[in-house]
Amino acid sequence: MALLHVLPWLAAAWLMAIGIYGMVTSRNYVHLIGCLSVVQSGTYVLLLAIGFVWGAGPPIFYDHPPGTPAVDPVMQALVLTDVVVGAAVTALLLALALQLQKRRKTLDPEELEPIP
Amino acid sequence: MKYAVALRRCLCIAALIVLAPAVVLVALRMPVFGEKLPAYGATINAHVPSMRQATNVVAVVNFDVRALDTLGEEFIFVAATTGLAVLLRGGRGEDASGKPVHTDGRRLPARSEAIALLTRWMLPATAAYSIYVVAHGQITPGGGFQAGAILSSGLLLLFLGDGYRSWRRVMPPISMQLLEALGAVGCVGVGLVPMVAGALFFQNILPQGAHKSPFGGGLIPLMNLAVGMAITGGFANTMVEFLEETREPEEGEP
Repeated sequence: MALLHVLPWLAAAWLMAIGIYGMVTSRNYVHLIGCLSVVQSGTYVLLLAIGFVWGAGPPIFYDHPPGTPAVDPVMQALVLTDVVVGAAVTALLLALALQLQKRRKTLDPEELEPIP
Repeated sequence: MKYAVALRRCLCIAALIVLAPAVVLVALRMPVFGEKLPAYGATINAHVPSMRQATNVVAVVNFDVRALDTLGEEFIFVAATTGLAVLLRGGRGEDASGKPVHTDGRRLPARSEAIALLTRWMLPATAAYSIYVVAHGQITPGGGFQAGAILSSGLLLLFLGDGYRSWRRVMPPISMQLLEALGAVGCVGVGLVPMVAGALFFQNILPQGAHKSPFGGGLIPLMNLAVGMAITGGFANTMVEFLEETREPEEGEP
């Protein structure tokens, strides 16, 4: 199997792995939220790779007639909604980090202690 | 301190060990890259263009075939932005954020006139482009999500060029809250329209219109518009809340 045939899967796995590693070893919540976005980018690559076909065009039949080979529209729709939800959830998490900094004066998960 | 790092790492390794067999099983069964379409996507590509007067199949999937899922996704977005507002407002309460005069204590960094002029030119152009993107959502790449993101980031140009106070004066938060709420309600309303005529929720029974027309596609343009409104309002509210949060609190404020 040529490298090009496994490269998308490897790229998705690499993004996932490096993001999870970053989250596990993170010492700062803003950095941790960034790592979560990296993990999410892995899902984009995975979904788009599943829907890809060699030699196919976009699933938009404006210029070329219906019936010409096109990539999977379902995966593209999934990634689209994924991006929007990802942006909103990242904003929500950053708001949590902001409140944490305000109330506990730290963003380091290790320095947080349980509220008595 | 060090103990917690080690604990986190142990938990992660344990979880990975538990999940590893499933990962290996799935990885071995992945389809060959770029060989053939998944069945669902292939079916949609084959049949949808002849059933709907819309050429952007991605938009048809989002706003017609899987409109119910998009509705759910829309409400995840609304819930996230609402949660963000609740978190950031904290003790500030609801009405405090309606008063831009509270930012008096905040120094306005001087902008060059060139920046102010450029952003004032670019805002109408960005707004016009976002209207174009939402209006042609079902025929060319684009749609409500993209248009909402374009318009709400275009609004930030005003903040960039004219500063926070002018931004708040031109764009009162209540208008953006209304926009978001109307968009979210509109999404449900679009789904209810066919039910008035005795059809199913989100069943696309409206007249399909002309081929390649911005008004073709039945429910799809309406859904595009509603989603565009909700996304614009939601992102704009997010920006208001973050900018409101970063300003210095004044005397007597929590």
